Amino acid sequence: MTEARSISEADLHAYADGFLDDADRARVERFLAENPDAAELVADWQAQNDELRAAFAAHEKSKPTDIQLISGAHHRTAARPPRRAALAAAAMAIFALGAIGGHYGPLLFKRPDIQLAYTEILPREARNAFLVYASEVRHPVEVFANEEAHLATWLGKRLSIANLKVPNLQTMGFKLVGGRLLPVAGKPGAMFMYEDQAGQRVTVMVGRNKENRTTSFRFASASNVETFYWIDGELGYAVTGEISRDLLQKIAEECYRQFPS
Amino acid sequence: MKARETQAPAPLSFEAQILALLPQLRRYSRSLTRSDVEGEDLLQDCVEKALVSRSQWRGANFKSWAYRIMTNLHLNARRSVARRPSVGIEEAENVAMSAVSDDPLEKSRLVKALETLPKEARAVLMLVVVEGHSYQEVADMLDVPIGTVMSRLSRARQALREKMREENVIPMRRPR
Repeated sequence: MTEARSISEADLHAYADGFLDDADRARVERFLAENPDAAELVADWQAQNDELRAAFAAHEKSKPTDIQLISGAHHRTAARPPRRAALAAAAMAIFALGAIGGHYGPLLFKRPDIQLAYTEILPREARNAFLVYASEVRHPVEVFANEEAHLATWLGKRLSIANLKVPNLQTMGFKLVGGRLLPVAGKPGAMFMYEDQAGQRVTVMVGRNKENRTTSFRFASASNVETFYWIDGELGYAVTGEISRDLLQKIAEECYRQFPS
Repeated sequence: MKARETQAPAPLSFEAQILALLPQLRRYSRSLTRSDVEGEDLLQDCVEKALVSRSQWRGANFKSWAYRIMTNLHLNARRSVARRPSVGIEEAENVAMSAVSDDPLEKSRLVKALETLPKEARAVLMLVVVEGHSYQEVADMLDVPIGTVMSRLSRARQALREKMREENVIPMRRPR
């Protein structure tokens, strides 16, 4: 307890930024375990960090005009490189960059990071899938819960997830209706549907994208339909329902726990 | 050892150091500004300034030196007003060459929220988070006490957090 009192805000920043050594990190972690408000604050900061890094990562790149920047900077007004880059200069620049370091070349052709685009697509498609399928009375899913093992193997194979387990949400009062294959951002994805005793439905969508990078959990809402979504490695997840945000968040957390990481 | 001063497409030493650092400087300049165009402007100014002041470089940490130049240029300048009409992230699409519709920055509400931060606080946040400098390095770079770095960092994070809450983005605590 005495050590907990000696944690300063600067320690929390340093923790969030990964600047602490093992001993201090452990000390802060003990403090956070006992102070949920501080833990939430730090988690927010870390989520900001992840998103900011992801947002600007794609801008770390060379341009064909870089050579002109260095060599022609003294007559700038005339020589400000035309933004429609000269191809000859590009060829020369690539040659020069190659001479400087082999690691440089690939950067030139790096595709822009599309992770944020995916995080935009994911909640939208999750919401659409929910609106389309959750209102289906007779055919809400392709494979019903009575074939759960088959459902898991089938969708696991399409998504290349070894040992895919269909999340069990019984503790939350939701039982599995079944699942289906559906496109998520243009690739095979899975949707699982659950239902509580009152017939309220919740869907869990999973999609894969090679360019994905892990994010924190996010929340999106549009006309009473709420979606929690997150990306874990290459897999994107979205939990959607017309239920309270609190309950949906609990379901999302439960899914996160149960899905393989 | 001097760089060959012919047409030299393969600059060495000082120029080579700048060239090697350009991708990171480009990321930093973009993270301080509102659009690709403004980012490139700041980058060009920084390179120009570095070349002109090359005699002031004491051979110590080149990277810190270049970052310091860019930060100072940005904090001291009223560039966009003076030099060209400022262009927000949305309109940036209509500007020559930045018509990249899948620019992830346009999609991020957090990045938009950066516009509400004071320049100094934003610079500290970017130097620490995106560029990976330690608090002490940032303090040296900006010539301010480390306590000032911490308070700017704190202010930036707090402001972003409030802004995002207004915008319905709740980063949930991951069960670790």
